[in-house]
Amino acid sequence: MNKLTTFIIAIVVVFGFSWVGLVAYPVSTLSHLQPLPDEDTGGAFPPTTSGLAVAGQKVYAANGCVHCHTQQVRFSPLSTDIAKNLGKRQSVARDYIRDHTPFFGSSRIGQDLTNYGVKETDANAIHRHLYEPRSVVEWSSMPSFRYLYNYRKIISQPSAQAIQGLTGPNAPKPGYEVVPSPEAQALVAYLLSLKQNYPLPESPEPTAK
Amino acid sequence: MLTYGRLYPAAMSLMAYGWATPAAIGIGLWLISRTSQIPLLHTTILTSAGIIWNLGVLIGTCGILIGDGQPFELLAFPSYATVILFVAFAMIAVWVLFTAWYARNNKFSLAQCFVILAFVSFPWLFCSANLVLLWHPIQASAQGVVAAWYFGGFNNLWLGAMAIGAMFYLIPKAVDRPIYSETLGQLSFWTFLLFAAWTGMARYIGGPFPAWLVSAGVVASVLALIPTFSIAINIHMTLHGQYGVAGWCPTVRFLAVALFSLVFAAVFAAINALPDVSAVTNFSQVPKAQQILGFYGFFSMVAFGAIYYILPRTYNWEWPCSSLIHWHFWLALAGIILGTVSAFLGGFLQGFALFDIANTFRSSLEFVTPFLFLSMLYSFLILASNVAFASQFVLMLLKSGKPKTGPTFLAEPIETSHEPAAV
Repeated sequence: MNKLTTFIIAIVVVFGFSWVGLVAYPVSTLSHLQPLPDEDTGGAFPPTTSGLAVAGQKVYAANGCVHCHTQQVRFSPLSTDIAKNLGKRQSVARDYIRDHTPFFGSSRIGQDLTNYGVKETDANAIHRHLYEPRSVVEWSSMPSFRYLYNYRKIISQPSAQAIQGLTGPNAPKPGYEVVPSPEAQALVAYLLSLKQNYPLPESPEPTAK
Repeated sequence: MLTYGRLYPAAMSLMAYGWATPAAIGIGLWLISRTSQIPLLHTTILTSAGIIWNLGVLIGTCGILIGDGQPFELLAFPSYATVILFVAFAMIAVWVLFTAWYARNNKFSLAQCFVILAFVSFPWLFCSANLVLLWHPIQASAQGVVAAWYFGGFNNLWLGAMAIGAMFYLIPKAVDRPIYSETLGQLSFWTFLLFAAWTGMARYIGGPFPAWLVSAGVVASVLALIPTFSIAINIHMTLHGQYGVAGWCPTVRFLAVALFSLVFAAVFAAINALPDVSAVTNFSQVPKAQQILGFYGFFSMVAFGAIYYILPRTYNWEWPCSSLIHWHFWLALAGIILGTVSAFLGGFLQGFALFDIANTFRSSLEFVTPFLFLSMLYSFLILASNVAFASQFVLMLLKSGKPKTGPTFLAEPIETSHEPAAV
């Protein structure tokens, strides 16, 4: 046998060990998690998401939101995520089975968004935030996502979708309006769908001490 | 359209696939044919693979900028680009393995071991990760683990192994003595392979994954100190008494910095993997500091040192300007120190504010903002140092300057010590 063959077999065995643990194992177990039935309503946990919210995931990915925002609540008491009200319970693998790609994230230069849809329920407010973050949160370091919006002249009637309540330099001129593009609508639908407020048996809410 | 969310992954992907990987491939090809004592044959295939690779990087970067990017670190290229990259790399890896198959030496040298490991593990990592994340995506709940495996593997087993292999070849050549201990080297090779592949999960402490996977990552990050220290001791003992060579030889100077960065990076990674530490530092700038230290302080410095050694030998022309090497080195060193220190300090303050219940999110941002400006300064220093390197490189390709009789040194070699590198 050539010395390369023996050497490569040895590498394959040792490295394959990590491949089995970190690729084959999650593919065979974690990727087959099922939603749990909701006894009361006949629904499921985690609940299904709308088609628009699924389209919004692509917008979220395309604009790299994940580079500043995490979507995971770590367990207590190791972390203070629950004490800081990012969520009532720890995030677990089953929470993500409705997603196409996971946005776990690795940086919190922006706020955690795991339960964004629980805290913010007003679509118009989110549009305003995306259009000009500093008009909503003065100290925000988030870039503006204006390019997802159309600034246009009002023809006959104002659009029902136009952003309301833009003030100061961001307010459109009289006779003009700011209308979300389909991408912005999808993104907001996705952000509104971000909720981990249903019960899962593997992640009980920690009891107050 | 060009917001941070698109520019940042584009920049990181260019660093990883436009600079680091091609540099590692070039160094690896040269090392494998040198250590196997046979010339590379049919290089047209390799050259074409290089062109295809660069095309893939171009397409991938444009893909991220137009909004086709993927949300994984170091795997941000869209799937249509990664297919091209995989084909190009497979052509190169096969070539390397052919060369190793016909190697003339009886027993693989340490450098050869690490280079073969790198060329075996990268296609494996890249293919597995792309298959289950992009080409045929599995359920999102499982994707994070695979992405973490790839992230750790890319940094350690591809770039890391290549850089270590280059060190084991270049240091003995540059100071003209054998590696201190072959046995210690073998120990470091196998422990490195065993532990480094598992470290990726350590960053997900407390995250939505089975706890044992994260624990395995933490244990591996700490145990990875064994190969790191055995490599560092081996290189240090080889260099012992010869550190003076760094005074005039660019290769040794860059490699010496890389050696320190390697030790620091591994120690920080081990400390940062401890659950109580990472609960604080995880989502702050601290992991960025580690990235700078490992990616720039270690890998890139080895790559620069290797290029300063290899290019005159393959191109039959000496480096035209020693002062540009000086600028390159000092600006890079200043940049590495500034970038690492500012990201560490800023990251710790940010991390504590994120962790502490009494602090608001806003205060975490206020703590870190000044340090982010320092990070910007770091980027400019690195940019300037790379401009120095790139202009030197172009001058070299143009064969500018007068033909020289000896290599370009940073200072006059001191007579009493060993002759550096046989030229």
